[in-house]
Amino acid sequence: MTCKDAIAIMADYLESALSPELVEKLEEHLHDCAPCRAYLATYRKTKSLAADAGRVEMPEEMKTRLRELLLAQLRERR
Amino acid sequence: MSRHSGRVYRLAYGITRNQADAEEIVQDVFLTLVRKGAGFEGHAALTSWMYRVTTNVALNKRRGKRRELEVSLEEHLPTYSEDGHRAGDRSYVLADWSSTPEQAHLSAEARKILENAIDGLPDHYRAVLILRDVEELSNEEVAAILDDSLGSVKSRLHRARMVVREQLTRHLGTRS
Repeated sequence: MTCKDAIAIMADYLESALSPELVEKLEEHLHDCAPCRAYLATYRKTKSLAADAGRVEMPEEMKTRLRELLLAQLRERR
Repeated sequence: MSRHSGRVYRLAYGITRNQADAEEIVQDVFLTLVRKGAGFEGHAALTSWMYRVTTNVALNKRRGKRRELEVSLEEHLPTYSEDGHRAGDRSYVLADWSSTPEQAHLSAEARKILENAIDGLPDHYRAVLILRDVEELSNEEVAAILDDSLGSVKSRLHRARMVVREQLTRHLGTRS
């Protein structure tokens, strides 16, 4: 397995979506390849950092405006 | 309502990267919901509808905007030598910043690099990244929301992560 092959299947590897044969080949490659070990570690970390960065909260004043808008809409419909 | 509105906002903001646009989308989605009434069979159908409508409205709103900020994907993907092994400076391809102190990842500067990297992704790549890694939906669910193939979703997700990883490595990799 080359680095190109290894990196191409890292997303599936992290999701346990690879066949046992491919997992074995990838892990053999990782054992011998420091750049791919670094790539996998930083790829995994990137996934968690991007997830953390995306967990934004809706500001309270927006929640209030939404509530008021929907109440007005409901009153109009009655 | 609060849980749903929070989810819609998070997704709308994640795709548009703009608070005012995200607020407008949340309001549109909930006004549509009020007009539709109780037309959903169960919680899953409602959630699925919300994800689909929010994603499509956010992508439409973003269309044509801020293209100048988009990065070239090819410039941020790993490079290989002819034999398929990593090419490039040895210390760079060995850079592993994943276990450096958490403070380094969360420094204002690093946070800005991360935000810019996500912001610079082409819209459909960013949408896939948000739906998969933030909302934690499956590839199949994302493919259904975007009306896209499973292969395309998986490819975009992988490339999006690689592009963001590359930009973080250029910043953090030199410090580890």
